[in-house]
Amino acid sequence: MMKKYFEELVSGIETKLQEDPENKSPRKAFALEIAKIGTRLYSDTNQKCWCGIATPFDLLSAMGVTSCFVEFVGGMLASTETAGNFIETAEHAGFPSDACGYHRAVMGAAFDGIMPAPDFLIGTTCPCSGGLAVVENLSRHFKKDLFVLNIPQQASEEGVRYLTNQIRQMVKFISDHTGEPLDENRLRDTIKLTNQTRQLMNEMYRLAQQVPSPANGHLMGNLGIVLPLVFGTKAGVEICQIFKDTFASHVKEKISGVPDEKLRILWIQNRIQFKNPIVEMMEKEYGASIVSDELNTVTWDPIDPEDPYPGMARRAISFPLNGPINVRIKHLQKLAQEYNIDGAVNPCNWGCRQGTGARGMIANGLKEVGVPVLNLEVDCVDSRNFSEGQLRTRVEAFIEMLS
Amino acid sequence: MNNKSRLIGFTCAYTPLAIIKAAGYIPYRVLPVGEAPDLAGSLLHDNLCPHVKRVLDRAFAKDFPDLAGMVFVNSCDSMRRLADAWQIVRPDEQVIRLDLPATVDDDSVFFFAKEIETFANTLSDMNGQPLGQEQIRSAIVLYDELSATMKRLKAVTNSGANIGGRSAIQKFYNRASTEPVEHLIEELKQIIEEPKSTKLDGEYVPVFLFGNVLPDPEAFSFFESCGALIVEDDLCTGSRLFNSTEMDLDWAKDIFIQLARNILSQPPCARTFDPKNPDKMVQDLLYKAKRCKAKGVIGYTLKFCDPYLARLPAVREAFRKAGVPLLLLEGDCTLRSIGQHQTRIEAFIEMMG
Ligand code: SF4
Ligand code: SF4
Repeated sequence: MMKKYFEELVSGIETKLQEDPENKSPRKAFALEIAKIGTRLYSDTNQKCWCGIATPFDLLSAMGVTSCFVEFVGGMLASTETAGNFIETAEHAGFPSDACGYHRAVMGAAFDGIMPAPDFLIGTTCPCSGGLAVVENLSRHFKKDLFVLNIPQQASEEGVRYLTNQIRQMVKFISDHTGEPLDENRLRDTIKLTNQTRQLMNEMYRLAQQVPSPANGHLMGNLGIVLPLVFGTKAGVEICQIFKDTFASHVKEKISGVPDEKLRILWIQNRIQFKNPIVEMMEKEYGASIVSDELNTVTWDPIDPEDPYPGMARRAISFPLNGPINVRIKHLQKLAQEYNIDGAVNPCNWGCRQGTGARGMIANGLKEVGVPVLNLEVDCVDSRNFSEGQLRTRVEAFIEMLS
Repeated sequence: MNNKSRLIGFTCAYTPLAIIKAAGYIPYRVLPVGEAPDLAGSLLHDNLCPHVKRVLDRAFAKDFPDLAGMVFVNSCDSMRRLADAWQIVRPDEQVIRLDLPATVDDDSVFFFAKEIETFANTLSDMNGQPLGQEQIRSAIVLYDELSATMKRLKAVTNSGANIGGRSAIQKFYNRASTEPVEHLIEELKQIIEEPKSTKLDGEYVPVFLFGNVLPDPEAFSFFESCGALIVEDDLCTGSRLFNSTEMDLDWAKDIFIQLARNILSQPPCARTFDPKNPDKMVQDLLYKAKRCKAKGVIGYTLKFCDPYLARLPAVREAFRKAGVPLLLLEGDCTLRSIGQHQTRIEAFIEMMG
């Protein structure tokens, strides 16, 4: 089912691009590459690894391994309106509805046989306890070896050294499983591509900060969380280049992402992954443009191609959802200021202790810089209890208050 | 920071209590007990572990003595959020965070050893007194003695002596995590020598209890009223906090590395695991249940506890395969929430009896 979905997605986008090669929109380029990762995950010819979110995907890519974080599958199933069935499977197997929807969907998909078996797995302690436990469960389910990266809470000297050593161990773990040693030259080239991508990301985000912004909720949705899957590849560079060029020309021509932009909204952490009218309603009916997502950001320095592991360690530790909440709040305040934000929306994903558990502190932190926050009670993956009317009313009231 | 208080608060069984003691402070566990009003959801969220929420409720209500500081172990998402919220609710108390790895290998041990060393230095700075390895070793010896004495107390109870039931043991656990332990050890020794009577009243089915947080002594009386005697536990408000270190206190070795290795190799709760053997927790539980000759096992875990929620399906499956009767209960660490399971507990005990 998923294999067919990704294959059709790839051929659909490719056909459109052949028909009109000049019209390579950023979102199409992004979707095409993600669909290609999907097809590789479902093909039998690749080494595959299911991972935690903070995995250095570029390093795996340099070692010839197709890798993806497991929550991606939960989001994908939700976007194709099929997550509900798998969530039910997981719940029947004893995974209660109190857990994060991404993880319930993934476990159900594994039990129902639609997750391809990996060759091995890499779990990360960041961003959440639930995510690590799911990777551990998948390792048990598929009877495949698991490696865990403990992401320290802070980028202290000890923390960076600890994670750097673990990344070295991880390389050995991967080579032991693929039978291929790491090719240092290939890694060096990969890191150079990662750095190019990083540079372009910085430029495109800077352009998105312009008033009016060339960005909008559709263009930017899930971008920051998924882009690391293409770090270290030419495709990653190409996607960001298209984003940057499109934004640059739109800024020049004063074309805003949302026509007649009236309000600028910051979206916190999770998008609602299944079809819902909220973003479109905000943008079309109220001119409230989602100009930034919390994870659409670059929090790390360029990585030294000659000695990449410490830089990779620092990058993982700097993930905005890692560490004490004041680090995250400072990051959100910075985004609010850089993007001239009027208000923020926080869909408090039911089951996310990591993020939803901080909602009061986040709201207070943004209030300090004059940004009101709308907390939505929602499950971002499980649409079974989604109450569109209620959410619509709350969002409308919030926007009217901002206006 | 409150300079007058000698208490350092903590919430997690992975806390190195000996370091607190060695630095001249008294470890004070902020247990999720009492009647503080329900306010934590306003800062956190209602779908968070009730342990964490009740501890924060107590912080809002100032429902415990002044603390010089509070140490939080990075045990799970909820605990991290509690540490964040604590800083807001009790701004005068120093918050100290201990970053505990989720898996154990040499790198993790070295990292955690540094964390413990930094913790020791912070306490020593707070106290204005140097903290030497000798003091740490003496504190380790003291806590080892407490663990050994608690074990003897349990053995005496399990052999039929009446010291007031398992609830009495829980009272000692709670006291041992909130009071200076020197006097307590003496008190325990006396009770072991002279139990109230040598015969426990009534007939009970021996049960092994595992899970996370259950500090209310009355909960254990309640199990007894249902016909279950908890002969052994694996709870973070129970035996997991007082595992003997059995450390080789070799002066030549770095004490922090020894302590880190020891803490990380204690029987893990669900948040720590062995990636090479994801079934380790289940195997440990089955082994313990067998060792204490329990006829059945009760798992009591808290609602919204991700580390356990995700692992219980595998536990259930392993117990089914091993043919060991298992009853899983979910609650909010109150007696009331356990009371709601009375019929299920009684049926479970009856089935084994
Ligand atoms: S929503 Fe929260 S619990 Fe779920 S995967 Fe994301 S960080 Fe983890
Ligand atoms: S009971 Fe579970 S969720 Fe609560 S603090 Fe302990 S490990 Fe975390």
